[in-house]
Amino acid sequence: MPSLAVKLPQEQPKEQKPILRVENLHTWFEVRRMGFFKAGDVRALDGVTFDLYEGETVSIVGESGCGKSTLAKTILGINIPTKGAIYFEDQDLSTLDKQGWRNYRSSIGYIQQDPYGALPPFMSVQRILEEPMKINGIRNKEEQARRIRQVLEEVKLAPIEDFLPKFPHMLSGGQQQRLVIARAMILEPKMLIADEPVSMLDASVRVEILQLLQGLQTKHNLAIIYITHDLSTVRYFSERIFSMYGAKIIEKSSTSALLKEPLHPYTQALFEATSDPDAENLKTFKNVPAGEPPSLMNPPKGCRFHPRCSQIIKGLCDEHIPPEFQVHEEHIAACWLYKDHQ
Amino acid sequence: MSKVLLDVRNLKLYFRTRSGPVQAVDDVSFKLRAGHTLAVVGESGCGKTSLAKAILRLLPRNISTYSGSVIFDGEDIMKYDDEKFRKEIRWSKIAMVPQASMNSLNPVIRIEDQLAEPLLIHEKLTKQQASVRVNEVFKIVGLPVDFLQRYPFELSGGMRQRATIAMALASNPKLVVLDEPSSALDLLTQANLMNVLKKIKHEINTTFILITHDIGTASELADEVAVMYAGEMIEYNSAEYFYTDAHHPYSQKLMASVPTLREDKELQFIPGQPPSLINPPQGCRFAARCEMKFAKCSIHPNTTQLADGATVQCWLHDKTGEVKHA
Ligand SMILES: Nc1ncnc2c1ncn2[C@@H]1O[C@H](COP(=O)(O)OP(=O)(O)OP(=O)(O)O)[C@@H](O)[C@H]1O
Ligand SMILES: Nc1ncnc2c1ncn2[C@@H]1O[C@H](COP(=O)(O)OP(=O)(O)OP(=O)(O)O)[C@@H](O)[C@H]1O
Ligand code: SF4
Ligand SMILES: [Mg+2]
Ligand SMILES: [Mg+2]
Repeated sequence: MPSLAVKLPQEQPKEQKPILRVENLHTWFEVRRMGFFKAGDVRALDGVTFDLYEGETVSIVGESGCGKSTLAKTILGINIPTKGAIYFEDQDLSTLDKQGWRNYRSSIGYIQQDPYGALPPFMSVQRILEEPMKINGIRNKEEQARRIRQVLEEVKLAPIEDFLPKFPHMLSGGQQQRLVIARAMILEPKMLIADEPVSMLDASVRVEILQLLQGLQTKHNLAIIYITHDLSTVRYFSERIFSMYGAKIIEKSSTSALLKEPLHPYTQALFEATSDPDAENLKTFKNVPAGEPPSLMNPPKGCRFHPRCSQIIKGLCDEHIPPEFQVHEEHIAACWLYKDHQ
Repeated sequence: MSKVLLDVRNLKLYFRTRSGPVQAVDDVSFKLRAGHTLAVVGESGCGKTSLAKAILRLLPRNISTYSGSVIFDGEDIMKYDDEKFRKEIRWSKIAMVPQASMNSLNPVIRIEDQLAEPLLIHEKLTKQQASVRVNEVFKIVGLPVDFLQRYPFELSGGMRQRATIAMALASNPKLVVLDEPSSALDLLTQANLMNVLKKIKHEINTTFILITHDIGTASELADEVAVMYAGEMIEYNSAEYFYTDAHHPYSQKLMASVPTLREDKELQFIPGQPPSLINPPQGCRFAARCEMKFAKCSIHPNTTQLADGATVQCWLHDKTGEVKHA
């Protein structure tokens, strides 16, 4: 029976090496009025710091527009950071030359949001998979064929010969997403960034794809950043969870600790808002904050969640940005409720 | 127990295509009581939206079969001609919030005018009356009334979705069909919307058909759950039992693939894909993927009424063993 066994968060070996270090990363987009006058900045990423270890899976959860994709694209060099630094295997990305960038990019697989827009409609499966190899100088036909065979086997698009000449529109949603994953794996990356890889898919196909990613992770010891707005898939997939709100990471935790006790009021609200299928749900209203996510051009002063927070400490939360507090050994929250933990 | 508001019998909707008819809704029957909510679930392409369109007679041009009866409030509205249907049923008694409708509001017309227009045209209300009603429904869906003066682009996705629901409620319909009302929304916005719908259900006693592929969210509102697979309604069950004790092997597998936040369960997926709706298999349409299948499954299963009131289309549950279909 195919199944996705619950992955128990591993004890973090203390001397484990970070593959990626992100320090105080800011990505602001300039907004111009009438194409000329600067109207302000969208602070899509506003001071994000974390380490990702080799072979580790981290989930990033948060609402639409909180900066998840911007984080992914900034790490990939698609967006240019306004401030801050990214280190990949201890190499500062800002010091890389052209060849350095090419090598770096080829060691990261990217599954972009919106699988339907991700695949070029007029290319066959074979061409879609050859393209990244050509760009990265793998021109040996035998080597190309070997890699194509391997990735298609890994994503279970079989029989391979049937799929090679097909065009994306001839594939189901699940098959398209497997092709996207195959393309992300073709350069044998060390790290994978998966931006909402399953959110467009039906429940059963979702499980199939998550299991596939889990299999690749184990087989290749991949580090994975899994971006999602769906908290319930996270427990099946990652060792750690980062929760984002208003362009900042506001909670970092091992998956097990967070699932036991979410600390930040925003993460708590995400929890409350998630419905497990249960007939009891009919009888109760959800206790979730009203209102909208903050403007990233004019973010609220202090804690960005304070206008919606039911636990607000007046005079503190609405004035001062909460720093990260280490509440438990594997659990950090950027919230003034935990100010006594230092 | 409240009376039956909607009684659908042997409803069929086939689309004509070059490769043959697409059997999008195939012989669907069910009853829905006034004040209840029925969730229609199932994977993409199984016929959920087509079922809604068949009930509301919102049909594309390429129809090859459209038959059966839809008994609404005691009358078979399938017998109405198009003119009568449009005047007496659609929108005024049965309203629909279509899939992705929050993006189909007219961007250059203020919200108030968009909501008032059908009231002026269909219900023949005066401007004054329409304005009062529009204010009422805006409050019902929890939007501040000063937003009525705004244009759609000035509202967030969640607010626009509430506005489309307000629009559907304006005529005070008895039945509202919601097609994926929350799947494009944020988690918190979605939860707020479900609260609003729940409040409407309790306070105005509106009957809902909620179409969704998100079973967790469906459980916020559903009294009954119907599962569609490849154009057929293969199970109809009370929500009280469905999530834990679904009858049909497909429903059971579907539930096993839904991740849960609060419970550690092992997720499973269903290998393979649903069949094409053009020339679907003669027997049970799920047979090719079913672990329980046996010889009989190559014949089309009957719909069986079970002791707990559920209906299921599967030979495992048919104790008579007779073949009632050709
Ligand atoms: N190129 C750009 N120029 C201007 N603003 C941008 C650009 N890219 C993103 N933004 C803005 O930055 C913010 C963060 O966007 P981002 O796509 O990172 O969000 P997200 O968390 O991935 O959301 P979703 O869950 O909807 O995918 C949004 O307000 C978005 O409108
Ligand atoms: N006008 C049409 N002509 C031909 N085929 C159609 C037409 N409309 C829908 N279909 C087909 O009918 C089937 C059922 O479609 P429908 O939109 O009802 O599915 P659904 O369950 O609502 O799916 P989703 O969850 O993706 O919205 C699909 O195979 C679809 O491709
Ligand atoms: S810092 Fe204050 S406002 Fe922000 S989440 Fe914590 S308690 Fe709420
Ligand atoms: Mg995104
Ligand atoms: Mg649909």
